[in-house]
Amino acid sequence: MLIGTANIDDLAARAPVIESFDGEPVVCEQAEVLQVAYEIATAQREAMLPPALHPTDPPIVTWLFYRCPVSPWGSYAMAQTRIECRSGLRLRGFLVSAVVDNPSAAAALGARWGFPTQPGRIELQRRYDATRAAVVAHGRTILDVIIADPDPLSAADVQYVANVNLAHTPRGLRLVQVEPRCQIQRVERGRPRVLAFDGAAWGDARVQPVYPVAATLAVADITIPRVRFVCRPDVLAFDGTEAV
Amino acid sequence: MQFGLFFELSVPRPFTGDGERRVFENALEQARIADALGFDSLWVVEHHFLEEYSHSSAPELFLTACAMQTQRIRLGHGAVVCVPQMNHPVRVAERAAVLDILSGGRLEFGTARSSTWTELGGFQVDPDVTKKTWDEYVRVLPKMWTQERFAYDGVSFSMPERAIIPKPLQKPHPPLWVTVTSPGTELDAADRGIGCLGVAAASYAEQERRTKEYRRRIQLCDPVGAVNDSVATLNFMYCHEDAKRAAATGLLLLGIFALLNAHLLSTREAYPTRAYQSLGNLAPRPSSDDGSPGDRRAVPEGIAIGTPEQIVAAVKRWESIGVDSINFIVNASEVVPQAQVLESLRLFAREVMPRFR
Repeated sequence: MLIGTANIDDLAARAPVIESFDGEPVVCEQAEVLQVAYEIATAQREAMLPPALHPTDPPIVTWLFYRCPVSPWGSYAMAQTRIECRSGLRLRGFLVSAVVDNPSAAAALGARWGFPTQPGRIELQRRYDATRAAVVAHGRTILDVIIADPDPLSAADVQYVANVNLAHTPRGLRLVQVEPRCQIQRVERGRPRVLAFDGAAWGDARVQPVYPVAATLAVADITIPRVRFVCRPDVLAFDGTEAV
Repeated sequence: MQFGLFFELSVPRPFTGDGERRVFENALEQARIADALGFDSLWVVEHHFLEEYSHSSAPELFLTACAMQTQRIRLGHGAVVCVPQMNHPVRVAERAAVLDILSGGRLEFGTARSSTWTELGGFQVDPDVTKKTWDEYVRVLPKMWTQERFAYDGVSFSMPERAIIPKPLQKPHPPLWVTVTSPGTELDAADRGIGCLGVAAASYAEQERRTKEYRRRIQLCDPVGAVNDSVATLNFMYCHEDAKRAAATGLLLLGIFALLNAHLLSTREAYPTRAYQSLGNLAPRPSSDDGSPGDRRAVPEGIAIGTPEQIVAAVKRWESIGVDSINFIVNASEVVPQAQVLESLRLFAREVMPRFR
């Protein structure tokens, strides 16, 4: 079976530091949650993941946006670029990087859950005919996507896959399993079309979107719980998983 | 109780040399041995693009080879994907009829709609409509097989009047089945009077619930053709006189299958839709779905891995909850050497099968 082959030292260079896994869960009520799934170029699918993880076939990128009007850090928005993968038998999203528009939120998300972030501006324009989402960092648009023809779904139709974020932790370099729970109030699905994406600006130029899959836009209460599991990035999850 | 084999035709990486050919030849040998040992059926899946997991993209050809090399075992299309981008319904009817004739009337005809984004996306199928096209197919296929001439004005296809030939050898037509992965599909099967072909390993309690509801509901069915009121389940089998060796080898088989299955990109994961309510996992579920990224497993309940006596006990339990037949996966990605697979089949036929005949 396919196994990641990424150089862990290269990945570690941009991994944030988690000093402690302590802390209470964080709740962000009435958040907008946009998830866009796109097939990406297959050629280097193994090279984008550490050896603990397995790529999917076809490889898929998910861009996951949170716009949270209320949080312990005030209003903030975050956009993530993740590669869908498997950790053992489980469905996971390996975080390439994130953009956060609130420095306090960025610091907390990095220090508690291992989100590697960069500052930027996140735009989310919801309309009845289409939604447009864009991320601007260092003065450049690094993601611009439009979601057309939204159709209502029920909350049970949608699932969000847990993150695995590479971070320097008290146990060493680990993939940190982050499992936000979304209590969905309403959700719709549309057809995505990427207008611009700069993989290098997110940390991996090999992420090249090639074929649209689907996008969902939800309103939900998001709970980011304490970290429960971490995994060594250099061995398969069956051998490398540790309970926190 | 009837017993069958279930072939995914999984091929280990790297895809070099004659790996694919060896998998197909080993499966054909298993089919011949199963036929001689008294197994009742063999089933072959239809999948596309699922590297390693299943290279069975042309099951009608593999089944034809089985038909030519066996005498009495029934041949299960398990199952034909009923979406027009993959299989036009006329071609489905024609191929099935030819296979039924060539096999001397031994075809069992399963229907399905595919559950992975890899397959549906590859053929640019809209996942929202596959239930609809499946429903249309199961209504028209019996008519194509039984009416001298057939015309149709439908949703997924239409056609002017033509003679769809040849006709199947079995009259009025081969038994119809639908694969049941997610809870609820057994009700679709019952309502249409077609067999319930379990392809996801279910617990005793879940299978008992499904079987009871199916039996109750099929009494009131509006049949699409000749009624098939049979319930089959999927299982995994490795039979050995030594319990430890049975468990060690059987768990290897189960583990590799579970991994390959979990690594499929399900439609539900990629493309949220009402039409796919489950991920479509076929392997027994991990001990805790929200647990750690990985867990090692013991032999789950009801799985036919063990000594003949242990397997007899499991089969008796399946029999007691109303299951008519069990289809076994006996290898995955060639992790069990062919000689051991065949020895396991022989031991099962010698020690287990007679207890249910």
